[in-house]
Amino acid sequence: MRDTIQQPGARLPAASPRGGRLGSQRWGWPDRGIQRTSEERLPQLVSALAGGALLTLGLRRGRLGGVAMALAGGGLLFRGTRTEQEPHVRKHGVIVRKLRRQRGRDATVELTVLQRSITIQGTPEALYRRWCDAETLNQVMGHFADVTSSGEGLQHWKVPGVLGQDLEWDAEVVEEHPGELLRWQSVGDTALPNEGWVRFRPAPRDWGTAVTLRFVFDPPGGVVGEKAVQLLGAVPAALALKALKRFKSLVESGEIPTTRPNPAAREGGYSF
Amino acid sequence: MRALCWNGINDLGVETVGDPRIVNPHDVILQVRMSTTCGSDLHFIDGYIPTMRKGDVIGHEFMGTVVEKGPAVKKIQVGDRVVVPSFIGCGSCWYCQHDLWSLCDNTNPKGELQEPLFGSQTAGIYGYTHAFGGYAGAHAQFVRVPHADNDCFRVPEGVTDEQALFLSDAVPTGYMGADFCDIQPGQTVAVWGCGGVGLMAQKAAFLLGAERVIGIDRFPERLKLAREKVGAETISYEEVDSVLDVLKELTGGRGPDACIDAVGMEAHGTGVGAAYDRAKQAMRLQTDRGQALRQAILACRKGGILSVVGVYGFMDAFPMGAIMNKGLTVRSAQQHGQKYLPRLLEHVVKGELDPSFLATHRFSLEDAPKGYELFKKKQDGCVRAVFLPN
Repeated sequence: MRDTIQQPGARLPAASPRGGRLGSQRWGWPDRGIQRTSEERLPQLVSALAGGALLTLGLRRGRLGGVAMALAGGGLLFRGTRTEQEPHVRKHGVIVRKLRRQRGRDATVELTVLQRSITIQGTPEALYRRWCDAETLNQVMGHFADVTSSGEGLQHWKVPGVLGQDLEWDAEVVEEHPGELLRWQSVGDTALPNEGWVRFRPAPRDWGTAVTLRFVFDPPGGVVGEKAVQLLGAVPAALALKALKRFKSLVESGEIPTTRPNPAAREGGYSF
Repeated sequence: MRALCWNGINDLGVETVGDPRIVNPHDVILQVRMSTTCGSDLHFIDGYIPTMRKGDVIGHEFMGTVVEKGPAVKKIQVGDRVVVPSFIGCGSCWYCQHDLWSLCDNTNPKGELQEPLFGSQTAGIYGYTHAFGGYAGAHAQFVRVPHADNDCFRVPEGVTDEQALFLSDAVPTGYMGADFCDIQPGQTVAVWGCGGVGLMAQKAAFLLGAERVIGIDRFPERLKLAREKVGAETISYEEVDSVLDVLKELTGGRGPDACIDAVGMEAHGTGVGAAYDRAKQAMRLQTDRGQALRQAILACRKGGILSVVGVYGFMDAFPMGAIMNKGLTVRSAQQHGQKYLPRLLEHVVKGELDPSFLATHRFSLEDAPKGYELFKKKQDGCVRAVFLPN
C-alpha cells in the first residue's frame, strides 16, 4: 500500500516558508474529469498559467506577501488543472505513500500523504455544507482525533495519548470553494505540521458525489517527529478512508456504525 | 443476560454477559423469542473463518419482541413481534436503495478487515466474525438491532414464531438462490444440499415456476424431507456412481437448466477431488472444500445459470474453464433478506410456504451447546436446532 521514494526534494518543493510549500502543492484530480469543450478549456488554460506564475513569484518572495500570492496562485491552479491527473497517481497507481525529502543539509524526513475517495449519496453542495459543520468534523475524525471549533474557520485538533503526550495543533481553513473543495492547514508550532483537503465532485448516474480526502503530514526531524510518524505509521492507510466512511455513514444513514459497547463474555460483560 | 458464546475452536459455552443497550438512534432492543443454528456458523466453530474473538455472542437467525427503541425509530413500536434478516441494512446507501441489502455500505464498522480478502466491505451481520462487523449475536436473551425501521418486519397474526424464525435467513437465502435462476416454465433446477437453505431453495424453485426440482445430499432423513415436504426428486450422492450421469439421465442428456449450491465451503464428497480438498484443508493450505460447487458447475447445462448461496472464503481448483466454455451465468450473494421479506410473509399467510418443518429439535438457551453438537454431527435427524432463550 505504501512505498518510499528516495528522491529528496524531488516531488515536493523545499521546506522552509510554509506559504511556499502550500502554494506549490500540486492539485490532483485522480479520477477522470468532466468532459469539457475547447471553449471551456481556454480560460482554464489561462487560469492555470496565471496561477502557476503567481505561485512561482510567491515562492520566490517567501514570507508573508509570498504566502498571499502563492495562495492566490494555488486557487487559480485549482481551477486550472482540474482535468489533470495527479502525477504520482498517473505513474504509480497508488495514492498512499511516504515521500522522503531533504530537510536542512543532511537530515531526511518522511512526508506522509494519505488520500482516499468514497462515493456518497447526496449533492456536492449538501455534502460540502455538512462537512463544514463543526460537529460533523468532530464525529467523523472521532476514531483518530478530537476536533473542536476554536473560531471562525479555525479548528483545534488533538490526537490523544501518543506515547504519553497529546499531539495538538490548530488548523485554519486556507481555501474554500463551496460545493467543491475545502482546504486547511495547521498553524503555529506543532510536532506534526499537516495540511489537508476534501473535494466533492458529482458521480455518474444516481451515485451521488465522489468525495476525496487528502492529508499530508509533514513532521520535522527529531525524536518528537519520529514518534508522531510512528503513530501514523501504524494506521496511515486506514486514517483517511476511515474518516470518509464515517462521514458517509453519518450523512447517508444518520449514524456511524459501531459495536461499542457490545455484549460479550469478556472483561465486564462488554467488548469496546 | 445469558448468551451462547464462542470460546474457541469447537468450544461453545453459555455465559453471563452485559445486556445490550441502545447505542445509535435507529436501534431497537429485541427480547429474543426464537433463534436457530445455521450451517455457516459451523465454519467459524470449526475454525475455518478468522476474526472471531473469545467471548463473542453468536447467532444470526432469529425473531423476537421489541422491548426498547431508539429516538429515531418511527415505524417499529415497542411490543411488536418481528423477524429480522441476518444482514444489517441501513436502507439509505446506493446498495440498499437498489435492494442489494447484504452489500450495505454503512453497517459494518470493521469493514477494513474484509478488504484484503474481498476488495470491498459487505454489510454487517449479527453474531458472526469481526470481519462482518462483530455485532453481538442472537443466541441470547436480548439483542440490539440497528436500523430497526428497515430491518424489523412485523409478523402478522396467525403466523407462528417458528414459521417466522426461518424467514430471518434460511428462507430468504434459499428464495434468493432460486430467484437468481430466472426460472422459465418447464425448467429443471438442481439444488446441492438439503439442509435448511437447500430445502427452502427447492421450495422456492417450485414457487417461482420450476417444473422439476432435484435435491442432492447424502442424509436419508434430509432427502426424505425434500421428497415429502417439498416435492423434489432426490439423489443421494453416496449411493450413485456419478451424480453427473444421473442428472444427465434425468434431463435428457442436457443437464439442469439451473444449479444452486446451498452447501458452501465445508462440502463433503467422494472421489479424488474430495480427497484433495480434505488434505489441503487439513493442512490449512486452503480454507474451502469445494466439491459441491465443482459438481454443480460440471452438471449445469450449456448456457445455464449457476446460483451460489453456499458460503465460501477462498477456493482453489476452481473449474473456470467449464464456466467459460459452457457459457454459464454465475450469480451469487449473501441474502438480501429485506428485499424478500414482504413477499415471503405473504406466501406464509396464504399457506403456500411453511418452513416450520425445519425445526427438528428445540432447546433452552442453557442447552444450546448440545443443540450445536447435534446439528453439526447431524445426529438424530437434526436439520435445525431451535433455541428458546426466554
